[in-house]
Amino acid sequence: MSATCEFQAKDYKSDLKPIWCPGCGDYSVVQGIYRALAAVGRPPHEVAFISGIGCSSRIPGYTTAYGFNTVHGRALPIAQGIKLANPDLLVLAAGGDGDGFSIGGGHIAHLIRRNIDITYIVMDNQIYGLTKGQLSPTSQKGRTTCTSPYGSLENPVNPLLYVLAYGAGFVAQASPTDLAGMAATLEEAIRYPGFAFVNVQSPCVTYGEEAQQIKGLKAISENLSAIGHNPADRLAAMDLAQHYGEKLHLGVFYKNPEPPPTYDALIRERQAQLSQGALPKERILDLFIKK
Amino acid sequence: MRKDLVFGMAGSGGDGIVSAGDSLLQAASAEGYHGVMTKSFGSQIRGGESSCRVRISTDPVLNPGGNLDVAVALNWEDFLKFGAELPVAGSTVVIYEAATGVPENQIPLVGVTPLQVIAVPIAAMAKETAGTERAKNTVVLGLIAGWFGIGGEAVMKGISKKLAKKSMELVEANQKAFDAGVAFAKSHPLKADMTVVPSSTKGAVKLLTDGNDMCAAAALFAGCQFFGGYPITPSTEIMQFFTNHVWKYGGAVLQAEDEIAGIGAAVGASFAGKKSMTATSGPGLSLKSEMMGLASIAELPLVIVDVQRGGPSTGLPTKTEQSDLFAAAFSAHGDVIRPVLAPTSVADMFRTTVEAFNIAEHYQTPVIILSDQEIASRKETLDPIDTSTFKIINRLVPAGADLQDYKRFKQTENHISPISHPGMLGGTYLASGIEHVESGAPTNSGSVHQRMNDKRIKKLDPLKERKDLFEITGNPDAPLALVAWGSVAGVCREALQMAQAEGLDVKLMVPYLLYPVAEQTYRDFFASVQKGLVVEQSHLAQTFKVLRMHLDLPKGLQSLARSGANPFLPGEIVAALHHLLSELQRSHEGKLQPQE
Repeated sequence: MSATCEFQAKDYKSDLKPIWCPGCGDYSVVQGIYRALAAVGRPPHEVAFISGIGCSSRIPGYTTAYGFNTVHGRALPIAQGIKLANPDLLVLAAGGDGDGFSIGGGHIAHLIRRNIDITYIVMDNQIYGLTKGQLSPTSQKGRTTCTSPYGSLENPVNPLLYVLAYGAGFVAQASPTDLAGMAATLEEAIRYPGFAFVNVQSPCVTYGEEAQQIKGLKAISENLSAIGHNPADRLAAMDLAQHYGEKLHLGVFYKNPEPPPTYDALIRERQAQLSQGALPKERILDLFIKK
Repeated sequence: MRKDLVFGMAGSGGDGIVSAGDSLLQAASAEGYHGVMTKSFGSQIRGGESSCRVRISTDPVLNPGGNLDVAVALNWEDFLKFGAELPVAGSTVVIYEAATGVPENQIPLVGVTPLQVIAVPIAAMAKETAGTERAKNTVVLGLIAGWFGIGGEAVMKGISKKLAKKSMELVEANQKAFDAGVAFAKSHPLKADMTVVPSSTKGAVKLLTDGNDMCAAAALFAGCQFFGGYPITPSTEIMQFFTNHVWKYGGAVLQAEDEIAGIGAAVGASFAGKKSMTATSGPGLSLKSEMMGLASIAELPLVIVDVQRGGPSTGLPTKTEQSDLFAAAFSAHGDVIRPVLAPTSVADMFRTTVEAFNIAEHYQTPVIILSDQEIASRKETLDPIDTSTFKIINRLVPAGADLQDYKRFKQTENHISPISHPGMLGGTYLASGIEHVESGAPTNSGSVHQRMNDKRIKKLDPLKERKDLFEITGNPDAPLALVAWGSVAGVCREALQMAQAEGLDVKLMVPYLLYPVAEQTYRDFFASVQKGLVVEQSHLAQTFKVLRMHLDLPKGLQSLARSGANPFLPGEIVAALHHLLSELQRSHEGKLQPQE
């Protein structure tokens, strides 16, 4: 670990111009990430930022960190390999709701149970934007899109309840309706030693419904600390999380007050224990000598 | 006396036939013999049929052998399930369980009269001496020691070592069962002397292992520090070996949630600057193909082992085949070349794996090792390998001037750009599956795409010049030729020796590099060839077709291809060569006639 030094949000901003539509919620998310990284203070070259495919998955390129814009749904598998190969890195993963809860939906449970120290940010807009407006796993039942012209027959997933049930040690929600709050939540997530999940309600200005735009989100938002929620209470968090889609609770749903050791830390321990008395690599074939 | 014996034994899952094979091979190796053992099972874990084939020789062994010299059937139903995997011929001694009730002149092998058939009350002897039928396999080892002179003391030494941990009573019981086997053999001598000549290298240090363990050990030697994978037959032992050892070298293993996550984690570890790998079999290779494309366009070194089994889909999960060549070379969409290497034995699995890492690191590309079930799970005795003769290549890392205005995908003379990794100051860049300019920034430009495809494809051209990735034996000007790779290569090596001994002018090419196709190397090899065979275990003749796709083959070159599981026998290849020669002679006569 290198010593933290003074960084400002602009130090994390790259020269690439985002491809996002004017007014897209993801502009705020990337601003929140710049601020959070500056507050944490790790230099950009010690940050690895991994994404899948989708509008939001372009986000690593807009930072000065090491970025990896991978394939659809696979940000988490790749991010875990990076963290296990080099636990010193600060690893962020990001993507959209389709990336995280549909095509890649099988991965998050396993990163959570392994408790790999990665912060995963889902930019949830209830729609497939990059493919121009199809039904997503978080789209409301009944919603009309170009792949559900007569209305969706499916119930949406509840990302917050999912990750709470999987046992995530840190679960939060943020929204561009409160940029300062989002930056603070992201900072807290990054600082949490273990797998941290932040669902960001990030409106799609092109394919999103009226109620999901900033104004609509503001109307249903409620700050978790303002309503006196205790983030150490996992059951209370699950109770609140049931209102996903109706209410927009912002802030930390759950933060394990006694974080267990991370997978990456356990790996370090095992490496240290077992490295004693290992055969030199040049003599590895001695393992096959039969006496 | 014999210099070489091939045993084939079959029984049901609980009979301990494979552990008997293991004991026999270990004992033979302790006595200085060379040996190979292959196993074959039904896909049940318990109660299904299981078999092994053990070949013991005073000379290095090229393959698991053709027809059996000795067949052991604990029951006929299971033995017959293996069909051509355990071929009995007129030269075979057949030993079987008397309790099957089958008379010696009525054994259920159609169209063959074995050299000798002996019914032995194996189960009864086990019960009587050791008090349990579970010692049947020890009785069999006693019979083998008595009749063929292999593994007398060494077998019991090995068994005692294994059982002493449990109880001394077990050791004594097994000793009695073993002695009963020996005594039976002595009192029922064979018609022909089939004892094996003592080895001249008794006491020499030998290695004994299988292809999967050798692959994992070689990867560790090459500096691999990360394995991401998912259990799948017949490749799982690679992950298991890793997880036993990699931590000692500062590395890690991830048994991932699925095949895609396994290779994904390995891609991530490579991006993080570590040598990494994954291993799988056919179904997993299909699932991993998108990630292989990602590693190609992001120019990340990665080694992928595909231990081939019968396909498509679940196919024959416990049996060998060579039907993944198309998938290895061509799966994953887009214009891309991915090097594919193939070992031919446990011994050269070491070299092939080290080479795969070297190529992956040097060229910044995924590399596939096409192993197969036979090599993966067969055990071989080997002479020690001098690891100091192997060079290890690491990826080109940017330094000094490269890090001023660093461009990850910079065009260079050899198309290889220095590669940074997270943690390296000045080296930050965006890696991506999307097409990118030299800096890594995404682009939609057709002309950049053309240039970048050029870079990624041309950087691999020098591979095709590597003559050391091809083994050519026999007379270089021979008119007859064989081409074979993987486990089939060993069969062809023996066929070559047999054919030469019979006076045929023939040569053999064994490619270790299957893809990209080294056109010129093949053209040179085929220059003298009038007739030949590409021998492979693929119903579609994938190798023959890949070669034909890349170059004009001699008109007389034919395909000898069939589905997996049933091995090629050296004798059938020699017979096919004789047939080709007679065709050739006929066509020459035909041509000469008008001049007469």
